[in-house]
Amino acid sequence: MTLTAWLFALPFVVLFLVFMAGPIVGSLVMSFTDMTTRDLQTPFQVDIVGVDNYVRLFQDPRFLRSLLNTFTFVVVAVPLTMALALAVALALDKGIRRFRTVYRVGFYTPVVTSIVAIAIVWRFILQPDGLLNGFLGLFGIQGPDWLQSTTWALPSLIAMAVWRNIGTLMVIFLAALQGVPREHHEAAMVDGANAWQRFWNITIPAMRPAILFSAVITGIGFLQFFEEPFVMTRGGPLDSTLSAAMYTFQQFGFGNYAYASAASYVLFLAIVVLALIQFRLLGRKED
Amino acid sequence: MTRTAARKTSRWTAIGAVTLVGALALAGCGRSDEGGGAGGDSAGEAIDDSPATGELTVWAMGNEGEVLDELVGQFEEENPDVSVEVTAVPWESAHDRIATAIAGGETPDITMLGTTWVGEFAATGAFEPTPEGLVDESAFFEGSWETAVVDDVAYGVPWYVDTRVLYYRTDLADQAGVEPPTTWDEYTEFTKALQSAGATWGVSLPPGGFDSWQYVTPLAWQQGGDILNEDGTEFTFDTPEWEEAFTYYKSFFDEGIAEPRRLEGGEIEQAFINGEVGAFYSGPFHVSLLLDQGGEEFADKFAVTMVPGADSRTSFTGGGNLAVFEDTDNRDAAWKLVRWLSQPETQISWYEISTDLPSVQEAWDDPTFSEDPYLSVFGEQLQDSKAPPAIPTWAQVSAVIDQELEKTTRGETTPADAIATIQQQAQSIGTGK
Amino acid sequence: MTAIAPTPVETTATSDEIAPAGRRRTGSRWWLYVVLTLGLVAMLTPFVWMILGSFKTDAEIRQHPTEFLPREPTLDNFTTLFGRLDFTTFFANSIVVAVFVTLGNIVFCSMVGYALAKLQFRGKKLLFALVLGTLMVPGVVTFVPLFVLTANLGLVNSYPGLILPFLITPLGVFLMRQFMLGLPDELIEAARIDGASEWRIFLRVIMPLCGPAIATLTILTFLASWNNFLWPLVVATTEDMYTLPVALALYSVGQNAARYGLMMAGAVVVVVPVLIVFVVLQRYFVQGIALTGIK
Repeated sequence: MTLTAWLFALPFVVLFLVFMAGPIVGSLVMSFTDMTTRDLQTPFQVDIVGVDNYVRLFQDPRFLRSLLNTFTFVVVAVPLTMALALAVALALDKGIRRFRTVYRVGFYTPVVTSIVAIAIVWRFILQPDGLLNGFLGLFGIQGPDWLQSTTWALPSLIAMAVWRNIGTLMVIFLAALQGVPREHHEAAMVDGANAWQRFWNITIPAMRPAILFSAVITGIGFLQFFEEPFVMTRGGPLDSTLSAAMYTFQQFGFGNYAYASAASYVLFLAIVVLALIQFRLLGRKED
Repeated sequence: MTRTAARKTSRWTAIGAVTLVGALALAGCGRSDEGGGAGGDSAGEAIDDSPATGELTVWAMGNEGEVLDELVGQFEEENPDVSVEVTAVPWESAHDRIATAIAGGETPDITMLGTTWVGEFAATGAFEPTPEGLVDESAFFEGSWETAVVDDVAYGVPWYVDTRVLYYRTDLADQAGVEPPTTWDEYTEFTKALQSAGATWGVSLPPGGFDSWQYVTPLAWQQGGDILNEDGTEFTFDTPEWEEAFTYYKSFFDEGIAEPRRLEGGEIEQAFINGEVGAFYSGPFHVSLLLDQGGEEFADKFAVTMVPGADSRTSFTGGGNLAVFEDTDNRDAAWKLVRWLSQPETQISWYEISTDLPSVQEAWDDPTFSEDPYLSVFGEQLQDSKAPPAIPTWAQVSAVIDQELEKTTRGETTPADAIATIQQQAQSIGTGK
Repeated sequence: MTAIAPTPVETTATSDEIAPAGRRRTGSRWWLYVVLTLGLVAMLTPFVWMILGSFKTDAEIRQHPTEFLPREPTLDNFTTLFGRLDFTTFFANSIVVAVFVTLGNIVFCSMVGYALAKLQFRGKKLLFALVLGTLMVPGVVTFVPLFVLTANLGLVNSYPGLILPFLITPLGVFLMRQFMLGLPDELIEAARIDGASEWRIFLRVIMPLCGPAIATLTILTFLASWNNFLWPLVVATTEDMYTLPVALALYSVGQNAARYGLMMAGAVVVVVPVLIVFVVLQRYFVQGIALTGIK
């Protein structure tokens, strides 16, 4: 049985060993050296500096700021995306009957579009005299210069990321909702439970695994959020939208390869920690 | 029990294996005294005058990538046994692509480079020094030639250049009764006057952030300040020239002459044409952009002039360079192509195809440039334009300038503190030598 | 992850239908339609603006204040795109790569997922940990070493170079595992008792039940491969190997001025195939994840 199983797993193992193991170990090792661009052609002729890179990272106020921004982003965006997606899924599943396909496709469309093009569109929307402020103006609200304000830039990006990712979670939740056993609902109704009670005590618990799965993959994705700040604000204004992944990318751009690797592995640690927390909070005993 | 024990064994084996691999890798590390990198490279053999043969691969970005084929066709006619393949590379990602290619040893024969990239890539040792006698360095604009020189060795040649000049609305200036400025004081007056004539903002300047160093550094140069000291060993940011540069730059925002807002690509032309902005700095490409978007009627409402200065009217020069890779298979033909591209006639043809300005001074004697109202100004400005030093760490250092400038214009720090911070951080980043 | 046997539930079932007869609550939810439609508008407005933008000139796009409809609609962006770009080559490259990557994932992720879901063997936890771990490593850090490796294998500027590193993805394995956990063990046991080999069970018993999950995997993998930019950028060193996203970046972002109209036209063109795939497969998609055991 073991042999057969490993034969089944062979494609993954081979591809993993060839294409993933090497680079992962290599880059981890690299994070303990002082490799920069000059060493590109002679990567083994670098000096080992131990945890120096890691120490320097935590002494860099910009890195710390990026961690704060990333943390804020994840703490706000993950629940927000999940809550909205759940609401939409519920509405599409139980609330309405017609045009379901239209809504499904419509809500999923943002997921499919390329970030570069969409970012341009969003920039135009968020300009001081762009569509959003024009819309707000109809209600007499004077909107700020969203992307150039140190207070509003990160929230704008959060809104954008939520907008882009609701679709994926909506689909997952829609599917999960299909699987809530009818009998439970029937029994509860017979017992006189109202819609809200049924939702809270039957639907949600039955969807727990889906909620965990969504939280984990969304957490992993959002911890690495990079494209939105990179394309929209380049980390500005004044580093208020600098994400950890973007900081890392910048360092790679400067040619500080070892330093950037260290930053990546700090991010990796954060991902693992978040996943563990989520498993603890949302998982079941058997997980 | 056996299974648990077995599982533990397998886990430890895995950890052990990883550690072993890691340890071996680390054990093999360590800089030898030579180390990789530039410096001390000697130029290769001289290139003769026979026709080029064989195959060549060239990487070029953006617009140049699209139209280089045309120019190269002429080269192929003159050298029938050579075949040149041009691959276009997206500008924004070209830097990553070149770095990755160098790491993987998958480089073309020749590549185009941004002028500020020469320092960092030359440090990898991937480029071959320009052979003796291939080109005459005095043929190029001094500021441009400097971009190709790292540690006194030239890597490749400057191919085309651009420089920044002041674009301004002639009709607003006439209305306010002012002449284009030559000094800083005149400049402040001028921009204020443009505002009194109806412009919302006298001049458009980036309030910091990405690449804004290109606007403040010339101010330091104009006073005789610089980024590095004479022998290029130390940064010189904490000097009165730099403090003055920052103070003067900030004054435009404090006095309400410049909008404290970063304009994205494409916004400035519209603002200029609408009369919201009275003046701005840019390179040659904006001439055609303005003529395109403003239409015929707009043509006589704007003009360009050399940047106003203090002790000198120095401006910032950029452009594109060409570099030949050390591990090219066809060194001979590669350098011949580079040499051919540096000839004045070719440079003029190149301008006609691409509108890129020649880096070779002699080309500017051609009527195409000397008699053009806009280009002649650029030509004049190029005589007094500088580029940042070709050091590997420039990208990181300039990012610090960008940040501190942003803090300064937003009032979160003073010019004195800003330059002190820049100096301190630049020092810790080092010159990469 | 816990597994729950799949309930044969139709996707159109709603809790309304299980309401006792006489309590019909459907139809009076007009306000929900309103809210959802508003949401839909918010979702689609940027997308619609982008499509409209592809018919505008650059000057119009940059109009202050931003406008919606093009004043002088033009097809210039599209003619430029199709005219200057060697469109068929880029499109073909993208298709070839996406198809092979998707096929590879369907086959290989299912195999590994099956092993992780239904087979007992030594090292199973280690394997799963490896899969999850790989999922969590930020891609940017392995990028350059992966390229160096690819170069050393001589795969640069080739289809294998574009395809192989993505032939199996940890997310795909994770997804298939989840799904297969939900498949009834009894079927497999019965087949084993009948003397079928594991491979036969996999092929004849398991895979046919996996239609929905495969549809899910197809969409996700196809989307990721189709939009992939960074890897083809560095691996495809000559233009004839460029994929669509790389080629579009060439013609839309200049050193000096971004050509927005061109970019949007490009984005519209790139999005169409993926949307088609999604619309075609989306009903299986919804049906699919229901059986993933994450109900």
